[in-house]
Amino acid sequence: MLTTGFKLWFGIFVAALGAAVFAGYTSGGDETGPISLAWKGTVGNHVSYGLLMTAAAVALGLALFSIAFRDGDAEAAAELLDTDDAPPGQRPVGGSWWPVFAALGVGATAVGVVVHPVVFVIGICAVAAVAVEWAITNWSEKLSGDESHNAEHREKLMRPVEIPVLGVAGIGVLVLAMSRVLLASSVNGAVIVATVVGVVVLGGAVLISRNPSLPRGVVQGALLVGFVAVIVAGIVTAATGEREFHQKGSDANATDTQSEDGH
Amino acid sequence: MTDTPLETDDATALERAVTSTDANTLGRYWLGAGSLTLLVSLVAGVLVALERLDLGGAEVFGSADEIFQFWSAHRVGLVLLSIVPILVGLGTAVAPLQVGSDSIAFPRMAAFSFWTWLIGAGTTVTGFLIDGGLGTPGAGSQRQAVALTLVGLLMVIGGLLGATVSLLTTIVCGRVTGLTLARIPLFSWTLLVAGTFWLLTLPVLAANAVLAYVDLRGRTAVRFGAEDAIWEQLSWAFSHPQVYAFALPLVGIAFDIVPVSVRSRLATHDVVMVLTGMLGVVGFGAYAQSFFDTPGTPVMNEAIYVVDAFAAALVALALFGGLADTLRRGAANLGPGADNRPPAPMVLSVLAMLLLLAATIVGALRAVDPFDLLATSATGAQMTLTMGAAFVGAMAGTLWWGDRIVGRSTSQGLGLLAGLVAVVGVLLVGVADLLSGFMGQNDFTGASVVAAGSPDSGVDSLNLVALVGSVLLLVGAVGWIANGIRRLTGATASPDPWGGHTLEWAADPSTVEVTSDRPLLDLLETDTLETSGAAS
Repeated sequence: MLTTGFKLWFGIFVAALGAAVFAGYTSGGDETGPISLAWKGTVGNHVSYGLLMTAAAVALGLALFSIAFRDGDAEAAAELLDTDDAPPGQRPVGGSWWPVFAALGVGATAVGVVVHPVVFVIGICAVAAVAVEWAITNWSEKLSGDESHNAEHREKLMRPVEIPVLGVAGIGVLVLAMSRVLLASSVNGAVIVATVVGVVVLGGAVLISRNPSLPRGVVQGALLVGFVAVIVAGIVTAATGEREFHQKGSDANATDTQSEDGH
Repeated sequence: MTDTPLETDDATALERAVTSTDANTLGRYWLGAGSLTLLVSLVAGVLVALERLDLGGAEVFGSADEIFQFWSAHRVGLVLLSIVPILVGLGTAVAPLQVGSDSIAFPRMAAFSFWTWLIGAGTTVTGFLIDGGLGTPGAGSQRQAVALTLVGLLMVIGGLLGATVSLLTTIVCGRVTGLTLARIPLFSWTLLVAGTFWLLTLPVLAANAVLAYVDLRGRTAVRFGAEDAIWEQLSWAFSHPQVYAFALPLVGIAFDIVPVSVRSRLATHDVVMVLTGMLGVVGFGAYAQSFFDTPGTPVMNEAIYVVDAFAAALVALALFGGLADTLRRGAANLGPGADNRPPAPMVLSVLAMLLLLAATIVGALRAVDPFDLLATSATGAQMTLTMGAAFVGAMAGTLWWGDRIVGRSTSQGLGLLAGLVAVVGVLLVGVADLLSGFMGQNDFTGASVVAAGSPDSGVDSLNLVALVGSVLLLVGAVGWIANGIRRLTGATASPDPWGGHTLEWAADPSTVEVTSDRPLLDLLETDTLETSGAAS
């Protein structure tokens, strides 16, 4: 019996194929071009034709998969496993840091392509690190049926690596982002930015140390907001570029100065 | 740094928020973030509408290029940063419940998709704000900013694709025993159909963005010639027919809401499944890439484009007929003399279907060659009507399923009011832009009367109407968001406020025997029969 999923995707296949042939002939195709993938003759608008044919091929693949696996019906899975009850579906997996870190890594990679090679490299490193961590997490989850034992096993393996690497990476990213902000600011602006950031960091630290009962979430939230603010500022200033520097004097080791100084 | 086995341990609220892989939570994230970007894109739309009040020059913005950047930002923002994410959010929260799954498939990937989309959306908006809109980039930092917008767009597309894969896998592989694909609720079905076409078309859009990026950043030898026409590369995704594929889930929303509201069984479930499949097919818009037109043979003048436009109108008409038939069957249960008043989500979902029908009719008119509307503001009218329909449908969906998703109720009256304001706004923009199109106003009006197509003087008042419509749409969106925020602190909701027919309203779907597409209605009718039998 044909399954519903097969009917859907096979229908899309037929429609896309028909549309491709129709588009091929009505846009200047000739001979048997549109029905022979341009083996004999032409297909007219080859972009439309190619995209519609690709859609048809993908839909056909989905249709065949769908009928081969009986639409993924629970009854079909139980029959395949020779059990009375359908196998359990996707269970909730609880919280995970890897999705958000992976997204940050992808974001840094993509933005780095545009703004600065160092950001790109940081992004690639982050994606690679998360890939390893994510894989280890998945591996550890299958060690036993005891979730806490699995988590403990994973921590023993990864903690000695995670803490120092994260520390170095976090500091590196902050330093890089701040350097972009300072390089994009005017001379006086850079001084003001550095002073304000310094005061905020020092003031925040004093505030936290004088209020040890502050909830962990508040401290985390403040740090996260600050971290994100610095990163965003770094990205924006890296995209807008550094201020103009002019060499003072002819000596190669001469000091940089700024155009607004008028020298 | 370890993963938490469950989200109920001693993690802080922030940790739980950032690390969540729960479908309901992720759905709410999508809805919340999509709402914010909706405001941004609607504000851009209002500014562009304001600029059009004087076609003779740039009043609000500094130059034609700036106007173009905001004009394109409005369209990209409305589709990829707002409406589609809102529909994905609704699907992420509702579809697993509708198929009786404990979780969304690949929950970590679903979370990864959301965060990737969010970072991409932030990057895209940042790119737009720093002079990086999809216009004609000048030199230096502006090219850098446009490149940033393009990579942001790629992340947005990647995030949407990942979320779509999670959703589709949930619908196909996460169904409870007895719930065949033919029996799944129509919102899940339309997500399956729409998701298929998103998977078929969004990679093409990503390829377009990559081509534009390579053109922008590559050396002269590797240029494809698109650096001055970035929008032309991408525009197919924001106009007829592709917008139908993006708006498709609204049909499922309407067909899930209306039968329950009128206390009637949907007689045309199978027909609606076929018709939504057909609307998906006609919504495949990746083929309509005007950027690759060869001289003298524009794709929008080809037969396939014209047939597609008329087919979409016929399919939308048939779908609306099915909805009207359901309304007719259940008319006795609503209106004067009946116990029930039409619920707000039902009113909005029917209006959303009407807007979709209007959009397809505008799409068909646009394809009629003698009208010469292809490059006119009728294009914007068709886009606004379609995405407006999807937005109103999403408003109906959040009012309908909001109690189930959040567990708290909100004002149906305020929701209805916001929806009606949005509908009026969409209609004003759509009708005004269509009429302006007939008067010769270009889709993008530029900063001079000549660039605007030298239209008749009547377009001035029509542009004023369009501005009022844009403002009303923005007001409606603000009302919808306010109502959503109000829900967060609302009274505890009933688990099934509507007497729903499908599994998402069951306390424990695994205990429900599924023998039709309306398992809860089956149970209710069986109980009623048994009760009446016992009484007799």
